[in-house]
Amino acid sequence: MLRIALVVALSVVVTSCSRGPVMTTEVVAVPAQKPVATPADGAWDSAPEHVAKLLVQDLVEPRLMKPSTAEVRVRALQNGGEMAFRLDWKDGTQNDLPGPAKFLDGCAVQIPEKVEVNPPDPQMGSAGHPVQITFWRADWQASVNGRKDDIHSLYPNASVDHYPFQAHSLEPGSAAQKEMMQRYAPAQAMGNRRVGPREFPVEAMMAEGPGTLSPGAGLLARGAGVRTKTGWQVVLVRKAPAGLSAKVRTQVAFAIWEGSAQEVGSRKMRTGWIPLALREAK
Amino acid sequence: MARVNNWQLGREMSYWYPESRPQRQFAAVFDTNKCIACQTCTLACKTTWTSGRGQEYMLWNNVESKPYGFYPLAWDLKLLEMLNGGAWNGNKYEGQTIFESAPAGERVLGWRPEQQDYAYPNVGEDDCAGQVDKGAGMMSLPHMNWFFYLARICNHCTYPACLASCPRGSIYKRPEDGIVLVDQGRCRGYQECVKGCPYKKVFFNPMTGTSEKCIACYPKMEQGIQPQCFVNCIGKIRLAGYISKPGQERAENPIDYLVRIRKIALPLFPQFGLEPNVYYIPPIHVPLSFSRQLFGPGADEAVKAYRNAANDADLSSLLCLFGSSEQVMTRWSRQGDLVSGLDDKGSTLVRVPRNEPVFTRPAYDKLYQITRTNCP
Ligand code: SF4
Ligand code: SF4
Repeated sequence: MLRIALVVALSVVVTSCSRGPVMTTEVVAVPAQKPVATPADGAWDSAPEHVAKLLVQDLVEPRLMKPSTAEVRVRALQNGGEMAFRLDWKDGTQNDLPGPAKFLDGCAVQIPEKVEVNPPDPQMGSAGHPVQITFWRADWQASVNGRKDDIHSLYPNASVDHYPFQAHSLEPGSAAQKEMMQRYAPAQAMGNRRVGPREFPVEAMMAEGPGTLSPGAGLLARGAGVRTKTGWQVVLVRKAPAGLSAKVRTQVAFAIWEGSAQEVGSRKMRTGWIPLALREAK
Repeated sequence: MARVNNWQLGREMSYWYPESRPQRQFAAVFDTNKCIACQTCTLACKTTWTSGRGQEYMLWNNVESKPYGFYPLAWDLKLLEMLNGGAWNGNKYEGQTIFESAPAGERVLGWRPEQQDYAYPNVGEDDCAGQVDKGAGMMSLPHMNWFFYLARICNHCTYPACLASCPRGSIYKRPEDGIVLVDQGRCRGYQECVKGCPYKKVFFNPMTGTSEKCIACYPKMEQGIQPQCFVNCIGKIRLAGYISKPGQERAENPIDYLVRIRKIALPLFPQFGLEPNVYYIPPIHVPLSFSRQLFGPGADEAVKAYRNAANDADLSSLLCLFGSSEQVMTRWSRQGDLVSGLDDKGSTLVRVPRNEPVFTRPAYDKLYQITRTNCP
């Protein structure tokens, strides 16, 4: 009798452990006390999970012709003003070193700028129907994690005789030295955010159709990514979509870039629109 | 895809954007017969534009020994193979261009060099270990004992594949001079242009995260001064200027005269379909079958005309203007045995003799009663 009771008790535990997260057919952002920007935060346990199947981007050139990442598991939290998404996906290779013919792991969340009955085109929006994008990249994460912003971090055996900004006549850290450095880094002189060390591994952008991506001025973008045993787990934090409430849904789409498959820009795995619902605090 | 006219192919072709020729088109003529591979041009460019972080491997100007030299490795062979050679019928190209043979999902037919493909510019390219009549002894390949130097910069193509490949429209062709530039503020480093440019003249900079390329020293060209690799050229092989629109060529424009009128300077791999604007006087000592593959069906006639240049007062005079002035000579004229380079307004910039006077210095100097030799 006792043995039977023990077996029953054990099986209950096993069942509850293997039950895993609640699965949803839409992405549901549940309330959290504070904005959550780390993948390991316990608050994520309260969020249901949506498994989004990924499709190849084969609508606009250059297209991705061969599928790579199959799916991304998504959870979402919100605290009124901000919304955080946690993306989990399988990726056997860590691609976080930029270089010629080398591409980087990355992910993005896309949400229409306005809550509309007819959402914009899921492929980067369309003219007059902008979308907001929050984008994370593995090399930016490495930079935030402390990788130095120099050529030896990318090529440990590189030997460089001399850079003009190292001339003896230029005092280290001086304005003249910075100016000399910038002469050979026009992207930096233009304020291109691809350059240099970063505070966050995430950037905010806007788009109104393929090829129109531009910096999302004034849009919040925070987050962090960690390498898991099987792939990446990345949190992307942005402002909660304007007009979204427990009564009104909007849309969300996701994209994953697999660096080892030379995925970059429009060569990516992506979803169509998925309903995004908000659960308010009780 | 739009239908556009490519005069180098003798036919229309497909291109990603409609035909839109600039007001004038930056162009250059390189005389391969005079290049000594000193690489002064390479260094002039390197010190001026690519001495920064992430640019270490970049050579916007490079000089490679053909047929066995490449930068990056096998850049031309790979594409020729992908294009299946490409066939000419007289002066008409009947094969496919890289735009016409773009595979599904791509804007152009291209390939991406690996990092190590950039690692050995000019290493061992012209090490010829055999006897001239027996081929190089060190290789089992049919390595012929001839070679020549091919100096290469961006061709500032009329139909740039880099521009067509960029999904962001970050690459533009200046309407005023046809110079092709990457907008460094807009580029997101997708490297599509690196894949698309058949000449491999766009480079990804891992430190700035953007792609960078030859800018034809446009700040100098705007001042009427030729680019760094031109004015520093030891062999005086280069002449920069502007080529007129097809059908509007003028004999007084040195580039028009050499390219369109005398047809002595030819585009590099015209069969790719980009209408490149650096024109080469083909080497005269190289098998013509090879020159035809590189420079198209005009190679035979160009070599013939060049070989005859000594008897051709106009041609030999104009060739003397190469490397004679720092300034851009958009016009030229010959007065007997003198040739002048002029600017747009018709002012003379430089005047040089067609035949340099020759002095023979006797080995024994009677005045000082000493023997001079040229070598120590
Ligand atoms: S040579 Fe290459 S980089 Fe230069 S304009 Fe042509 S396609 Fe673009
Ligand atoms: S500087 Fe002139 S001669 Fe020397 S390698 Fe360059 S193109 Fe040739």
